Amino acid sequence: MTPTNLLMYSTFSLSIFGLSMHRSHLVSALLCIEGMMLALFITSATLLSTTQTTSLAATPIILLTFSACEAGTGLALLVATARTHGNDHLQNLNLLQC
Amino acid sequence: MVYFIFITFFCLVGGLAVVACNPSPYFGAAGLVLSSVAACTVVVEFGGSFVSLILFLIYLGGMLVVFAYSVALASDPFPEGIWDMSVGAYFTGYLVFLVGFLAVFGGDSFFYNFGVIGSEASGFNVVRGDFEGVSLLYGLGGAGLVICGWGLLLTLFVVLELTRGMSRGGLRVI
Repeated sequence: MTPTNLLMYSTFSLSIFGLSMHRSHLVSALLCIEGMMLALFITSATLLSTTQTTSLAATPIILLTFSACEAGTGLALLVATARTHGNDHLQNLNLLQC
Repeated sequence: MVYFIFITFFCLVGGLAVVACNPSPYFGAAGLVLSSVAACTVVVEFGGSFVSLILFLIYLGGMLVVFAYSVALASDPFPEGIWDMSVGAYFTGYLVFLVGFLAVFGGDSFFYNFGVIGSEASGFNVVRGDFEGVSLLYGLGGAGLVICGWGLLLTLFVVLELTRGMSRGGLRVI
């Protein structure tokens, strides 16, 4: 495995560890998901330029579009949570009554 | 060139380690900005200049501004960076994990074998490869463009419905 591959995999795994282990704010969980998207983006972009498969170049653009959709929906959930709960701590989302 | 790639990869992984170790959202957003700038540099070095430009414009110019604005909703009175105890412990743990990962799987070729054989690294071109590839999105791959536009339009209505508030929104007080 070349170091480039290795560092991209470790970037993705760092983000997914950070998402899954200990989060106190919802917005930092969303930032971790954005980090995962960034790792996937650079993986596909370097794949297309290393193998010189130019017809793959639309793949990172499409991935970026759907990640923009995901970020918009996540931030809308953040705003709605801040409205109904007062803050965005993930502990508060477990409460039965707001 | 290889050392420059090493430095940018260091910034990329270091910025994401800052995001992953659960600091306050201010510092998390700053770490994500650092790592996305480093990601743009990495993609440029491997020969995808147009894709990198798109990443820079959309990601830094569009999405991270909204993220930095939304961080204000999660404001802490005492923001904790990586110098605090719990965050620093996670940061050190992630760095130890990373060094172990590199030591086990990296082998002895870590500093000189980055595999730079991209289309940028192989000479001078008149038309870049990714320019041609992205132009497929307006020709044979037009269905992908339609699907992406439909997804963005759907997201608009999803966001409007989620943040409607009062008693008709998707998320409300019971």
